[in-house]
Amino acid sequence: MLVLGIDTSGYANAIGVADGERVLADFAFQTRNESLAKIMLNIDSMLKDAGLGLEDIEGFGVGLGPGSWTGIRIGVTVGKMLAYSTGKPVKGIPTIEVLAYQARDCRSLICPIIDAGAGDTIYAAFYRSGNSAVHQMGDYYVGDLPGLAEVIAEPVVLVAAGVSKYQSAIEQLLESNTVAARENIPGGATVALMAAARLQNGEPDDTLALAPLYLKESTARAFVNKYSKRALEAQQR
Amino acid sequence: MLVLGIETSCDETSAALVASGRTVLSNVIANQLELHRKYGGIVPEIAARRHTELIGYVINEALDAGGKSLCDVEAVAVTAKQGLVGSLLVGAAAAKTLSYALRVPLVGVHHIEGHIFANLLSNPEIPLPHVCLTVSGGHTLLVYVRDYCQYELLGGTVDDAAGEAFDKIAKFLDLGFPGGPVIDRLAAQGDRKAFAFPRPLLKAKTFYFSFSGLKTSIINAFKGQLVIGDTLPLEDIAASFQEAVVDVLPRDGAGCGYGVHVPYYAGNKKSGQKTAGGFQTYGQEPTNVCGLQVCQF
Repeated sequence: MLVLGIDTSGYANAIGVADGERVLADFAFQTRNESLAKIMLNIDSMLKDAGLGLEDIEGFGVGLGPGSWTGIRIGVTVGKMLAYSTGKPVKGIPTIEVLAYQARDCRSLICPIIDAGAGDTIYAAFYRSGNSAVHQMGDYYVGDLPGLAEVIAEPVVLVAAGVSKYQSAIEQLLESNTVAARENIPGGATVALMAAARLQNGEPDDTLALAPLYLKESTARAFVNKYSKRALEAQQR
Repeated sequence: MLVLGIETSCDETSAALVASGRTVLSNVIANQLELHRKYGGIVPEIAARRHTELIGYVINEALDAGGKSLCDVEAVAVTAKQGLVGSLLVGAAAAKTLSYALRVPLVGVHHIEGHIFANLLSNPEIPLPHVCLTVSGGHTLLVYVRDYCQYELLGGTVDDAAGEAFDKIAKFLDLGFPGGPVIDRLAAQGDRKAFAFPRPLLKAKTFYFSFSGLKTSIINAFKGQLVIGDTLPLEDIAASFQEAVVDVLPRDGAGCGYGVHVPYYAGNKKSGQKTAGGFQTYGQEPTNVCGLQVCQF
């Protein structure tokens, strides 16, 4: 099954094509805030290089985030409309899981980290590798690095863009050197591989309902929620 | 030629099918007002999130309602500029993808052109050339429409848009959001001469307007009433404010040097019907259709 994968959640955007379990093309490019200006051109030239046309693609994979909110909206909308206009299925894959999957050869706990682009906030999660897939352990983590270090209780491999700064900070906080690191960005071909496996398994998403994975509410909503929570607490007192 | 128009420049997700540049086959608008009401204004991030959820459904609905399928679409048009960036990007991403997948031309349309052409769609008798006053939450512009896609900017606001003034005043007076309809309702029962609010730039012999000082003046009047301890004549404040806005917007295009006497009104219902009512108007029910394949930016 030929699947086109797209991930626009980071400072570099990634696109790729997989035929079932085989990678045909994989391309990442710097966006410099021009993700939408570049993505269709790059998809077109990648497909042409691979000797393919859009009509050959049998399914689409989309990185859902977390990451840049504006970025993931572009990728999700492009993926959704490609699937809608070609009548082919689409599967959304959490970008953080894509990073974990790229370290699936690791036997230790895998911890991908994504910069939330808001102060010290990071997104993270824990995965274990097994049966050619990665399995998430517990919930997503949204917070700062010291908070993440607190919940690390065993040797772990960090996967991130700019991972060395996370590695040295966590090693310092834990006073141990059991933290391995892997520099990586989510790959378009990985998204395509993961989506192909799930689409072949008969698990497509509802095309029109496809939505990003934000993990954080908008600042305005967070402010109002906090404010009304305080008011409620004051009332109860 | 069948054109699919997509508009997501602010808080409304909209798609429409227009045939031969004149016949609206369908026009679907998904409104998000309820999501934004408690914030007293449009929150860009919330708007962009909602657009992403809705865009596919809205386009699908526009095709269904127009009785057409995707393969009938011969061009895609999208609002490409002037709006909330996060919101614009969702519509632009959808339009660009459709244009690529369907192998049809893509046309980016200026938001204000959308307003001008919405008038022409609902009122084909509007002549060319004409002068169009566009009043919305984000813009107040006076444009001389020489011909299709030939425009000359005669003037506009130097600070706030008229609609923005309505929203901000409503927010200050705690009247709810959007401000236009509430102020319209209150003003109908008020005395429009009760307060002498300023009419900035009225005598400047230009087509530039200013609403920022008017806003401050109303806030001061409101605080003054509080100090005196009077009950608040909200209806009078609303009526006097509306009168001031309508006074400074040009009713007559005679002075613009183009021999055009009637400015046509285009804009958004949310900005306040009364503003529109102050003119001899067409397009009382302006739509968000940006679906005309007429010009390339």
